Parts: sequence; structure tokens; C-alpha cells
Amino acid sequence: MNAVTPRSSAKRIMRSKLVMILAALSLVAAACGGSDETETKAAFVMVAPVGDAGWNFMHDLGRQGAEEATGAETAFVEAIPEGGTEFDNSVQQFIDDGFNVIFATSFGYMDATEKFAADNPDVDFVHISGFKKNDTNFSNAFGRMYQPRYIAGMAAGAETESGIIGYVAAFPIPEVIRGINAFTLGVQATNPDAVVEVVWTSTWFDPGVEGNAAQALLDKGADVLTMHQDSTATGQAATDAGATFLGYHSDMSEQVGNYLTAPVWNWTDYYTSVIESVQNDSFTPEAYWGSMADGVVDIEIPDSSPVAGDMKAIKDAIINGDFDVFDGALFAQDGTQITDNDGKLLVDLADPFGNPIGAVGDEMNDGILLGMGFFVQGVVGSVEG
Amino acid sequence: MRLVRRETPLKGGQVRAFAAGVVIALVLGAILLVSTGHNPAEVYAKMLDASLGSPRGWSATLTRAVPLGLAGLAVAVAGSMGLWNIGAEGQLIAGAIGAAWVARFGGDWNGFVLITAMLLGAVVGGALIALGPALARARLGVNEIITTLMLNEVAIRVVRYLVNGPWKDPEGNNFPVAPELPPQSALPGFFERANIGVLIAAAVIGAVGFYSARSAWGYELKIAGSSAKAAEYVGISLKAKILTVLVLSGAIAGLAGGIELTGSSTRLVEGVGGGFGFAGIIVAALALMRPSGVAAVAVAFGAVQIGGGAIQTLGVPASIAGILQALILFGALGAAVLTNYRVVVK
Repeated sequence: MNAVTPRSSAKRIMRSKLVMILAALSLVAAACGGSDETETKAAFVMVAPVGDAGWNFMHDLGRQGAEEATGAETAFVEAIPEGGTEFDNSVQQFIDDGFNVIFATSFGYMDATEKFAADNPDVDFVHISGFKKNDTNFSNAFGRMYQPRYIAGMAAGAETESGIIGYVAAFPIPEVIRGINAFTLGVQATNPDAVVEVVWTSTWFDPGVEGNAAQALLDKGADVLTMHQDSTATGQAATDAGATFLGYHSDMSEQVGNYLTAPVWNWTDYYTSVIESVQNDSFTPEAYWGSMADGVVDIEIPDSSPVAGDMKAIKDAIINGDFDVFDGALFAQDGTQITDNDGKLLVDLADPFGNPIGAVGDEMNDGILLGMGFFVQGVVGSVEG
Repeated sequence: MRLVRRETPLKGGQVRAFAAGVVIALVLGAILLVSTGHNPAEVYAKMLDASLGSPRGWSATLTRAVPLGLAGLAVAVAGSMGLWNIGAEGQLIAGAIGAAWVARFGGDWNGFVLITAMLLGAVVGGALIALGPALARARLGVNEIITTLMLNEVAIRVVRYLVNGPWKDPEGNNFPVAPELPPQSALPGFFERANIGVLIAAAVIGAVGFYSARSAWGYELKIAGSSAKAAEYVGISLKAKILTVLVLSGAIAGLAGGIELTGSSTRLVEGVGGGFGFAGIIVAALALMRPSGVAAVAVAFGAVQIGGGAIQTLGVPASIAGILQALILFGALGAAVLTNYRVVVK
């Protein structure tokens, strides 16, 4: 402590003045504050500014919707990096301020959220997009975005004339790979000859890099583009080149000229249900992987699409449970058949480290989907990133 | 209007100028807050309360001051002999990589041994990545600003490669993160949320600050920094000085990376540098490149960052909070300039 304590007398005077100001200001703060201890207050931690289109924007819309539905007070912090002390400071601040349910909405918050849950049994925690939970006060949640991705692929397949669809992708993680595969299967449903070309950007939000990647795909002859990032740069590049754009996260029709449709998030219902469970003391940890039936993921069917009717039918079938994107025969990128017509594995599947995730005869299941590390036939590119 | 260098730095003026700079910044910040619909009194009270208003606030502030102070020390040590180490970020990352590398085969060791070895690994990592620029500068006269700056990018890419490739967590669902560190590698707690990294950093900053202010070695650095010819005339080996100072600078920044990893992280991830290496340049500049001034600046800077982060919970957007922090830093930096320069209006 000594080495970091200001030594000079002038500094000491400054500090004592600071303390006086602090004392005065905290009186003011105390007069303004004063909260009911039992009231449910929900806090959200976002990895980037909530902005107006991407991942964080949709979580913020969910926060606002849940606040309206439950009457609970909510607050959020944005631009909190993963893997540092800023997350810890924000969450501790929220807990000190009486917040009793914390939503951590980025993958890299997972370990820290787990620790906070262990240290704060009176506070409930929900981590989005990870795989950890506990038995008392820590859930994880995500959505089956591959379902609307498939439907988006149907629209893209019907739209392309060159037969090349460009996919500007972030990182080769299962979530993104699963989305590319589902999208490609959708493309093949309406256009068996079309291919999906993947370019990795290693970014979640970098309009410059993502715009350049989009341009590279356009230069290769792609006339339909989609993406898995937070920026609309791919949409801008597509519009400038006269190509069609399918978005992600949110309705981007305001931001992008040649926008067709997008698989979107809608967190309001889920957040509302969690906050309500905290309000009536019935929070139960779960690993929630929400579907289109729940509405946490969705897609608007564009009337202008020639396959709008088919898309609508598939959407209904997914919601009713009559259709599953990864059911039926699947072929890997190199032509190897992975599953038979009943969706049973024909090969042993391992993740990139050789850990088995499925053996011959197993049915396609969530464990395989969650560890998906291979591309299906029709994808041009490498999962190596 | 122009700036004229003062013949002697403003006597006792540093504190006054600093206070003036911060007050001006707070007034400008208040205007910004009011115009965006926030109550400045409430916001400033929260800033102060969250950073210096309680033991918990102090623990967060001091925890933040650790990487800021060590990175600032790294820059200031080099700066005190006129060298610019812009690579503290990369050295910090190299330190974290070094520590993480040790943890890969030290999973069974007891906590004390493992932590010591990891921090040593961090020091070696930081020193190693600084060795190239140090040799190039000492032997060939290659500008260290360029080489240290470029190596930041190299370090960022190396850590990206490691967590996407050979070090990727087999249990991590293919996400680009290294495996979780062994639990006994976490630095023991000090008080509230702070760990003993605060004590380690304080000891290092204190020792280096004291040594560079009081020892012949530190004096020689100053001479070498102000005049190379004078230094060689009195028999100081510039090459040896450049080499040791830049490697020491890298080692200190590397230690910061090791403390961040063992103290504030659960695993090696891409963002491990956290920008502290770049912030260290500001810390060093505010300390007027004096290693002895780094600790106080780091704590003040840490308080601004912690306070600035906390006001988001009042509904102040990250962008406004960022501007507010920048204003305060800018005011303080301006004050640092004005202690050495005066404004002449013609």
C-alpha cells in the first residue's frame, strides 16, 4: 500500500479535499437513492455498444421489452471487454447497487459469471451463448439460430443467378459453422447447384475488414451475400455492387438498400420469463436452447421471394416440430455421407481435438450440433479459418 | 499563441496545474452530461464512490492500477534514457503467453511454486520479445519506436494463433480460448477484490523508481538520455545501457501480463492485453517519464477508469463515459505539459 500512497503534503491536502467532496456528494447521492431491498432489478452486461442493428442491440431490445412486461427496473453496461477486470467491476457494482439478476450476454464472460454465481448465492445469473451452469443460481441460454438460417438460405438459393452465394463469417466456432451449414442446406433446398463461399474475418465488428471480405466475394462472382457479424458492412458492399443481402441479428432494411430478410433474435419473452421467475422466487437454472417455436429466433418471410410459400411452409413445419434442419441424409464437404435418411450417424464424429461427439448409429443430437466442426457439401472454404 | 519551454519547471506548479486541468475537464464534462440529460453531481458522486469511496472501490482501483503502473513503469524506464518503448502492449501479451505456457505443464504444482514460475515465465516472455528491438537499437541503431510498435501486432497475432490452434481448449466447444488455468494459479487475495498482485506491483514500481532516482545506474541513464556524447565521454557504454534498459522495460511489461493472467483471468484469451500497454504510454507521459512518479499516476488513472466504468450503471452510455475519461486525462496531460512549458500570447 505504501508505495502507491501519495507522499507529498500537497497531494495529501488534495486527497483530504477529495474525501470532503466525496462525503458531501455521497450525502447527495444517499438523499436521491434509497431502494427497496426485495425489489427485482435486472442488469445486463454487453460486450459492445448497443448501437442500432447487431447482437447487443437485440439484447437491449429484449431488456426494454422485459422491463415493460415485468415492471422490473433494468440497467445495462456496454462495451465491457471479455477476459478482463471490467466485467468483474461492472457486475460487482450492480450487485452492490441491489441488482439481483444479471444477464451476461457475451461468450467470454462465462468463467467470470460462474465465479460470481458461486460467490453470490442471492443473485441469479444467466450467461448467453456459453455452456456452463450450476444447480442453484446460474443458467445458460442461447437460440437455435440455425433454424431461421436454413429459411434464409432458401431465399438466397432462389435469388442467386450466378450460383455463388457469399458468406462473410466471423470465427470458425460451432455456432458460426452450424449457421453456415444450415444456410447451405436451405440454399440446396431451392437451388441444388448453388454453392456458398465462406470468407473468415476473425472479427465480430470491424466494418472495414468485413466490407473488404464482402468485396472479395463479390469479385469472385457472388450475387447474394450474407454474414455473421455485428456490422452492416457486408450489406453496404452488396448494395453498392447491386447484389442481394440477407442480414443477421435484426431487421436491417433501414440500414441496407438491397436487404431481403434476416434471421433475427428476439430476447424479450425469454428475459421476461427469467425476470418473472426471480420476482416470484422460482428461478431454476437451466441450459436453455430456444427455438423458433419459442420465438427467441425468427425470420420474416419476404413476399417478394419466389419461394415465399415454401419458406412459410418450412417455418410452420419447424415450429410444429415436423421438420428439423439437420435431419435426414447429410453429406460432408468432401462428399462423405455423414448421416443416413433417418438421421443416424454413418461415421464416428470427433471434434477438432479428437474427442468423440458421436459414434456410428447415434442419432443427430444437440451435443453434435453444439460441437459442430465440419462443413456440409456445398460450402466452399475451410473450417480451419 | 505558442508554447515556450520554461527554464525551470513550474515550482510546485505541477499540483496546481494538475488540479486546474482536472477541474476544467470536470466542468466541460458537466456540460456534456447536462446536455445529454444526466445529473453531473450524481455522475461524479458515483465515479468517486465506485473508485475511491470504499475499500471495495479502492480494491478495484488498485487492481486496475497494477497493469497501468507496470506498463507505465516499462515505458518510463526506457523514456528516462530517451528511448521510446511503444511495445508494452505486445510485451504484456508476451508475458501472459509466457505465464500461460508455464501453466500448461505446471498443473500439479503447488500454488506458490506455480505462481512464482508463471510470473517468472511472464518476465522472461516480456524480456524476450523486447530483446529483438533492444539488440537492433544497440547494435544497428534501428529505431526502437518502429520495432516495438510492430511487435505489438506480432504478439496479438501469436496469441490469436495459440488460442485458435495448438492451445485451443479441448473442452471449449471449439471456441478460441485456451484451457482454464489450474485453480491454484490464481493470485491470493489481498483485500476485498484486490489480490497480492497489488503488492508485487507496488514493490517493483517502488524498487525501480527508487533505484533509478537514487543509484548511479539511474543517473547514468539520465545522462545517456540527455546527451549521448556526454555519456560516452564519461565512459558510459551506451550499447549496454540500451540493451539492459529495453530488456528490463520488456520484462516489467511482461510481469504486468503475468499478473493480469494469474490475478484477473481464468484463461488465456485473445484480448489478454486489454490495451494496458498503450495506456502505459499515457501513464508514463503523465509521470513526466519519471519511474518514481508512475505509482501515483497509475492509481489516479485507475480511479478514473473504474469510476468512468461505474457510471454506466446510472444509464450513462459507454461513449459518454469514454469521453468523460478522455477529458480528464486530457486535462491532466495538458497540465503536465504546462509545468514544463508556458503559453505565450502574441
